[in-house]
Amino acid sequence: MSAGYFLKRTVFALLALAGLMIAVFFLVRLTGDPVNLYLPVDASQGARDAMRVKLGLDQPVFFQFLDWGGQMLRLDFGTSLWHNRPAIQVVLEALPNTLALGAIALTIAFGGAVLFGSIAAVRAGSWVDRVINLVSQAAASVPDFWLGLMCILVFAVTLRILPTSGFGGPIYWVLPVACLLARPFGTLVQIVRGSMLEALNAAFVRTARAKGAQAGRVTFIHALRNAMLPAITVTGDLAAQFAGGGGVVEVVFGFPGIGKLLIDGILKRDFALVQASIFCVAIVIFIINIAVDMLYAAIDPRVRIEQ
Amino acid sequence: MTAQQLRWGAPLLTVLLLGTALASPAMAQAQALTVVVTDEPKSLDPCDTDLSNNSRVLRNNITETLVNLNPADGSVLPSLATEWSQVDELTWEFKLRDGVTFHDGTPFDAAAVAAALTRALSPDLGCELAASGLPEIIEGTEIVDPLTLRIKTSVVEPILPNKLSALDIGAISTPADSKTREPIGTGPYTLAAWNEGQSVVLAAYDGYWGDKPAIADVNIVWRAESAVRAAMVDTGEAQIAFEIAPQDATTGNDRFYSNAETSLLRIDQSIAPLDDVRVRKALNLAIDRDGLIGTIFHPEAQKAMQVVLPSVFGYNPDIPVWTYDPEQARALLEEARAEGVAVDTEIVLYGRIGIYPNSSESLEAIQAMLLDAGFNVRLEMLETNPWLARLLKPYAEDRQPSVLQSQIDNTEGDAVFTLPSRFTTDGNTSTIADPALDKLIADASKATGDERQKLFQEAFKVIAVDDINIIPLFHMVTSARISPTVAYEPDVQAGNELKLKSISFN
Repeated sequence: MSAGYFLKRTVFALLALAGLMIAVFFLVRLTGDPVNLYLPVDASQGARDAMRVKLGLDQPVFFQFLDWGGQMLRLDFGTSLWHNRPAIQVVLEALPNTLALGAIALTIAFGGAVLFGSIAAVRAGSWVDRVINLVSQAAASVPDFWLGLMCILVFAVTLRILPTSGFGGPIYWVLPVACLLARPFGTLVQIVRGSMLEALNAAFVRTARAKGAQAGRVTFIHALRNAMLPAITVTGDLAAQFAGGGGVVEVVFGFPGIGKLLIDGILKRDFALVQASIFCVAIVIFIINIAVDMLYAAIDPRVRIEQ
Repeated sequence: MTAQQLRWGAPLLTVLLLGTALASPAMAQAQALTVVVTDEPKSLDPCDTDLSNNSRVLRNNITETLVNLNPADGSVLPSLATEWSQVDELTWEFKLRDGVTFHDGTPFDAAAVAAALTRALSPDLGCELAASGLPEIIEGTEIVDPLTLRIKTSVVEPILPNKLSALDIGAISTPADSKTREPIGTGPYTLAAWNEGQSVVLAAYDGYWGDKPAIADVNIVWRAESAVRAAMVDTGEAQIAFEIAPQDATTGNDRFYSNAETSLLRIDQSIAPLDDVRVRKALNLAIDRDGLIGTIFHPEAQKAMQVVLPSVFGYNPDIPVWTYDPEQARALLEEARAEGVAVDTEIVLYGRIGIYPNSSESLEAIQAMLLDAGFNVRLEMLETNPWLARLLKPYAEDRQPSVLQSQIDNTEGDAVFTLPSRFTTDGNTSTIADPALDKLIADASKATGDERQKLFQEAFKVIAVDDINIIPLFHMVTSARISPTVAYEPDVQAGNELKLKSISFN
């Protein structure tokens, strides 16, 4: 990837980010006034009005926007109403947890999908293929909320080999990772299997076989390299989704990630927190998109030439 | 042992040992007490105890109040104040406990109380204080001596001590112009750590003035899912878990207790056809409360006719519970229709998601009952903020007729904490405008003894029987799962107060 191409992508990303943040600014304010959530029900109208003034919510939205714009230029995301700390600090504490959780889950899902999808394609029509198909379709369909609770029931409550929930050493990551990777694994197995079937029937594979290439090389070097591209695209999409947090998994397992933070921020009308969260997630998604592009270029020479 | 056995046995043993080592944090018996609640505290500032997730950590653990309320009958008990008396109509005098220090070593005295009160009432700080009307009535304080404080009110307030049970006292060093995340109180525990997003850790305070707690270290954690909270007690990761939903509270370790909440539907009686008392009566008669108990609501929930528990001063024991009579409901609607009342107007049934377990299901059932009785009802479940917008004044001028799912709690033990804001013309959540009722509640608030009780009882009768402003449902029951390894009995205040001093390991 050339420096010029990277610079061009960055400029476009910054423009998109600015547009996104402006849209978020107005959209969160459409969700209503947060003041009632932050005062007791018995609070007087005077107290509510005083809080609106303190938060600047008594100003017309356009003036609030100008104030906010000035803050954003200084990368000042304001104070989280709920946490009473700088919003960006709250977000940056949670974001690495979510990124780590998503990265581990996706890596295992991708690796497993490449392996099992390839096996299913090579053994297409056999009982192995059918079993892999069944398991992957089940995995792609299962709701992660249900899966999470079932895993807790089986592995924590019944077998007592894993904790129910929480955050700490490696043992606390097993169930959240397992629940988060299930659907991507199921989806990616189907994609890899389908792409591999197509690739294995392609002319270049017949040529490789005709030239006497070993079966393993044909499958895992020639065919797989072509079949992986759709899987990488989908994985990139999934990574972008995971960057925003596996909210359900985080809620079920009490995992202190950005998904739960964002859900709570929206429910609590914590404008600063929502804006800071979306900003950080957007940056991560941009980085993921660049990484996917680079991976494409590494795998497919045609992309390198186009770039 | 053969070479083959060694070849397979060694790796297998290694895996087993590793697995045991990795799993050991999950299996280890906790020395500290772990309590799991629903959500992280929003604030640990002593003045923010209106929210239960804050007060459970603070109240009588890290911070203390001048007085406590007896959970059985709401009577006032000494805590940081040992005596109190009304010096004149507008002045109360409190004698403070001697020999008490804050966790930072500074003395607890009248100056600290005065500072805490001033701070809690400051409009700039925006404290979430669960003290109804306190900011409007406190005029000032007078430090008579280090252990004597006088508090002046702007109106006669016969139950000021009760209201001060909501004021947690932080050290004088607590910043006056900003909220603190490091509360310093006089309680039996200090805040050892607040691991944001994960846990709050408390440690016993050696300099506590009272009986030392049996448990030195406490972890408070939070999980949003009831099933997960319950499972944590089963696995030994926690010893106490609160707010277990009825469908999860199925074991012998689940304790059921009244949580001082009363569920109801508030009728917006200023909008037709709800301005017709026959329609409001029909709403109540159309609901099969017995059918809801044990199915959607807890089997031990009690049918309610007023919004406070029988233990609250002013409760009227003579109001009969509504019967289920859909035939009479239909007849009342017909009668009203015949006189030109637009009873077929759509009534919106507003619910609040998660206000109590099975909140949505309860309204779906109630909607079905109302439809069966001939009402035209639409259900709309709302999240908290839009629900608050409908709960609080000012109400939209062009609003549809509606009833609003709500829940009222009263752990303060006196009806004055419930009635003025909810059932007077100026009450900020009131949909009733009855000058006679306003006077009744105002007179009751200033009265004492039998006169006070009689007037409040009359007020409850007006609300429930004469004006029929509400559709009362149940005095609610909640459950906690408690490990057999601890001795703990939750009481009616357990929703707001985690009495760690009363807990011990068996």
